Amino acid sequence: MSGFVHLHVHSTFSFMDGAVPLDGLIERAKQLGMGACALTDHQGLYGAMRFYKKARAADLRPILGAEVVVEAAGVFGQEADLPPASRLLLPLSVGSARARASGFHLTLLVRNMTGYRNLCTLLSRAHLRADTAEDDLGGTRSVVTLVDLARLSEGLIGLSGCTNGEVGASVLADVRSRAREAAQRLAGCFAPGDFYIELVHTMTPESSGYISALASLAGSLDLPVVATNDVHYLKRTDAPLHDVLAAVGARSALPNPYARTNSELFFKSATDMRRLFSGYPSACDATLEIAARCDLDLGLGQFHFPSVEVPRNETPYSVLSKMAWRGLEERYRPVTPESVRRLQHELAVIEQLGFPEYFLVVKDIVDFARSKAIRFSGRGSAGDSIVSYVLGITDADPIEHSLLFERFLNPARRQMPDIDVDFDSARRDEIIAYIYKHFGARHVAMVATVNTMTAKSAVRCAAKALGHKADSINALSRHLPWVSARKIREVLATYPECRSHPLRDEARHGMLLDIAEKLDKAPTHLGTHLGGFLITKEPVDTWSPLQWAAKGTVVSQYDKDDIEMLGLVKMDILGLRMHSAISETVELARARVGTDAVPEPFTLPHDDPRVYDTISAADTVGMFQLESSGQRNLAQRLQERTFEDIIAAISLFRPGPLEAEMITPFIRRRHGLEKVVVPHPGMGPALADSYGVIIYQEQVLQVVRAVAGYTLAEADSFRRAMTKDRSRAEMESLHGEFVRRSVALGSTEAAAEEVFRQLAGFAAYGFNKAHAACFAVVSYASAWLKTYYPAEFAAAIVNNEPMGFYSPRLVLDDARRHGIAILHPHVNASSADCTVEDDGRAIRVGLKGLHNMNARLLRAIRDERTVRPFDDLTDFLRRTRAESDAAESLIKVGALDSLGVTDAGRPPTRDEQLVLLPELKAVLAREGSAGERALLLAPSRAREATDLGHPSGWDVVRRLGAELELTGLAITCHPLELAAGDLESRGVTWAKDLARCGDRTRIKVAGVRERAQTPRTRSGKRVCFLTLEDHTGLLDVVVFPEALQRSGETIVKHRCYIVEGVLQNNAERGIAVVADVVLPYVVRAPSGDPVRLRRGVGTAPMGPFRGSAGHSDEEEWEIAEAETAGLPT
Amino acid sequence: MGHNTAIRRFDAKKAGQPLDLFESASRVPVVLELLATPWIRRGSQIEGPRRCEVEVPVDWDADRARPCAFTWKEKRYVIDALVQQWAVDALWWDRPRARSRRCFRVIARGGVYDLAYDRIGGRWLLVGVVD
Repeated sequence: MSGFVHLHVHSTFSFMDGAVPLDGLIERAKQLGMGACALTDHQGLYGAMRFYKKARAADLRPILGAEVVVEAAGVFGQEADLPPASRLLLPLSVGSARARASGFHLTLLVRNMTGYRNLCTLLSRAHLRADTAEDDLGGTRSVVTLVDLARLSEGLIGLSGCTNGEVGASVLADVRSRAREAAQRLAGCFAPGDFYIELVHTMTPESSGYISALASLAGSLDLPVVATNDVHYLKRTDAPLHDVLAAVGARSALPNPYARTNSELFFKSATDMRRLFSGYPSACDATLEIAARCDLDLGLGQFHFPSVEVPRNETPYSVLSKMAWRGLEERYRPVTPESVRRLQHELAVIEQLGFPEYFLVVKDIVDFARSKAIRFSGRGSAGDSIVSYVLGITDADPIEHSLLFERFLNPARRQMPDIDVDFDSARRDEIIAYIYKHFGARHVAMVATVNTMTAKSAVRCAAKALGHKADSINALSRHLPWVSARKIREVLATYPECRSHPLRDEARHGMLLDIAEKLDKAPTHLGTHLGGFLITKEPVDTWSPLQWAAKGTVVSQYDKDDIEMLGLVKMDILGLRMHSAISETVELARARVGTDAVPEPFTLPHDDPRVYDTISAADTVGMFQLESSGQRNLAQRLQERTFEDIIAAISLFRPGPLEAEMITPFIRRRHGLEKVVVPHPGMGPALADSYGVIIYQEQVLQVVRAVAGYTLAEADSFRRAMTKDRSRAEMESLHGEFVRRSVALGSTEAAAEEVFRQLAGFAAYGFNKAHAACFAVVSYASAWLKTYYPAEFAAAIVNNEPMGFYSPRLVLDDARRHGIAILHPHVNASSADCTVEDDGRAIRVGLKGLHNMNARLLRAIRDERTVRPFDDLTDFLRRTRAESDAAESLIKVGALDSLGVTDAGRPPTRDEQLVLLPELKAVLAREGSAGERALLLAPSRAREATDLGHPSGWDVVRRLGAELELTGLAITCHPLELAAGDLESRGVTWAKDLARCGDRTRIKVAGVRERAQTPRTRSGKRVCFLTLEDHTGLLDVVVFPEALQRSGETIVKHRCYIVEGVLQNNAERGIAVVADVVLPYVVRAPSGDPVRLRRGVGTAPMGPFRGSAGHSDEEEWEIAEAETAGLPT
Repeated sequence: MGHNTAIRRFDAKKAGQPLDLFESASRVPVVLELLATPWIRRGSQIEGPRRCEVEVPVDWDADRARPCAFTWKEKRYVIDALVQQWAVDALWWDRPRARSRRCFRVIARGGVYDLAYDRIGGRWLLVGVVD
């Protein structure tokens, strides 16, 4: 017999103890002529689904498995209970995060579906039990017990493990009796013939003796042997990468902590393996026998819905149908023939595809939210469905907005529907609790994400392995942009902000960079999806291994793609902070003006001209999806007047439409600067709303139907075929078919060719209109609230930070520009959150965001104030027991201003209070709370007041500096207001005056940094879009590559700038400053004192914004690009 | 008793080492007994003055992927048996001290020798002699 199959392979999904990439593994196995290959990552099946799918596509038989940590079988009790001389050294712990465990290894391979389910359960039981186990009692965390193993071994093949298996470790330690006992007990857990003694030739001096001893043991127990190479990297040359991962995984520097002395654990050829085991040919033959026995079929293509309760004599379809017809009556008054036809059609398709249960599951969840008044909104292509609309899942009428069902569910392609619903962030936990209760905790788990290395993490990882100290690691990774690790060298060579970066010293850091580049995209640990839930009919641990997530929830080891592949239902229960902000705005407004005076914003008619005035004036800070610098620029050009315009604005600022240059013709045609022309009359009705420009995916379907007579299902398939990567032959085939059918329908060939050319150009870039329409409902609601209740809206936005595009400081600055006073926090007036005062004309800053504030103190302040206001600092400290650091912060931001009276017959200054604070704390500590007003304020050594006119005794520079540092907000005034005189003398033009300046005039502006983004551009050049703010408004600055070369380092390292350049101000392009140079500016008051901006104004690398609420991670790049790319290039 | 009988019976010439113990036809049982000797595999325990590092020319048997002969002190040593092989890779991150070797313990002319192929320098070394 010849040939060999690797049955013990650790991919990068062994998390820091494996460097085999899945694609590389499959390619290598095929290159070496192997018909099958196993994947046995530590403690789980993290990469199993991807491997299964890719291997089958490559015609390689995938064998799924895992190397688990199993309890000791060769001794009774714990290792620690043995006499020291008899103990074996336990291997280092392996696995990711809370699935990490230390103990003996055992390799398990899946034979069939029963084995797969058993392995999932076995792993889940081990990992989930860990939460109740006590780690210091011998380490049972994530360890498979022998009892479980015996009970769940059906369909599994066991291999005794590598040198870290108990059998192998006992042989190496020359404890033969224990090796024998362990082998016997482990074999006893499996069916006869399903347990093998694993031989690994690690090419150490001990290897040949080790193997012969194991073979002899196997012979004496009548157990078969099998050869493996415990593969950890593909080629010998990849071993250093694995060493680095292993070292960092074990939180140590090189050498790798597993004491591996060579680079032999690579994916060897069959010839090499047979030569290595030339004395044991049966061990190599066994790999082929095992591969033949492992024949797992996961039944891909089937769907597995959660169980849905339906009344007797009803079916899921009948229940869904009744609900939908009832919903139709409520949504459409009167019910129209078109809506009836549409609903009939959709219900028939849903029944035909077998998806009624899915809709019922979603309906059930949103009904719960509605019953508890939890704000939510459906989004995505689900908005294309009238069923979603009448069930109350989405809020945009698909008939009114020409949304097409086939874009959501194509009857020609049976694919799991995906309905995304955003819920009020603040109340999302209630939804989650309901899901667990309704479907049962054993049937629900969170979906995982796999976190991978980027440039920054790769550099840190490599530096750590190479033994750099913490300071050095920080210095090496600081100011690195958010790019992939493989681009580090390119970035260092070309990015101006990296010009003086220490990593540019190739002679010193060349090896570090080599390693970091190779670490690109290596999985580092398992994370938890923001809101994805896996819901199953059978217990979820029979479908997917589970483990504890860091925050104490149960998480699947599979990500969303794995779950979709298995045909399981994933529900995205995402939290949207804008919903929380809208709910809070309504609550604050109703508290001020009465419940009846404030309607529910989601049900408003979309026709209020004041709302459109606000949007088209680009006064959109805080508005959902309309606030970014790019959207403000678009609003100046688009001048939205209808709800359709809002949908268009949301859709146009996406990478696709931007890349296809749809905005310019759209704007020009809208303003009559360009004639609306379509090559075929059939396109006219479909493109009427967008002036003949194809913006929406739904329009592609309509055009294809109108011109070539395709059904909508065919048209959707056509659109999908056009958008994916296609070969020239496929394109020709699509082309030929389209033109033939168009001509058959009466079109001229030239017209058909032109339509196809336009479709080919635009199909890939169109945006899903339903998604935009669902968002537009929320956008309009936020715009309406900002228009009519600006103080409540701004307060609610700040209270729900982090969210949106701007910092809380800028949101309050914007409110101040709308005539709303910003009041500093005060212990007798502030709540934890920002509140509205003076009948909507002032916002009182809350105490929650104050540096050093804590939840206990917030509660104490709230509770004590209900008794009576605080009299002075002593009274405050006595009643709240405030910690020194928190009390100091409160004093510095003026939260205790004007309280108490000193000997001088006035309230103490902040300096006097700061001097008193430690003395008062000391006295209170001695006296407890018994002393009543025993302390007199007797300031002595305090600093001289710098502003006697202000109760704080502090001048404006000190007050503002303290606010920026301790709250991140500019409460007293905008920093640049203090430097207005200086800046005006330098010839700076303020933001509010830019609209009055002519196009192409040379200009100088100044502002503090809000954002610096560098989206990918069509040309591949790097352009920085800088959003600045002065005290009069926002400034959009474009820094092209040449200017960026001069100014990149300034942008990254400073917080405030003077920009010299050329103003662009025209109806077609909007207002922006094209920078020649960006200079640093230190803000100084007229007195000459500098204002410290830190915390209030951040510095960060240029790049996409991270951490924005309301968008999924995968949307971050897309949005970041879209937000800025509309500016002139 | 009974162990190493073939070795004991062997009529060794008195010319001293290095000499070829296997000029007679009975070399096979001797090699087999040597291979079965426990100490011969304990590579890590063989230390002392006989560890050396001498560059030697080696003939490579490509079919069996092992050395078949080497020349040391102008004498050619035909390899009778491969006792064991191992590999050493260490300190790759410290280039001056980095080591990457494939080692072979062989029996040749009655002696036990450790040969190493130095992957970094691309040369063969005799790294150990066990009389």
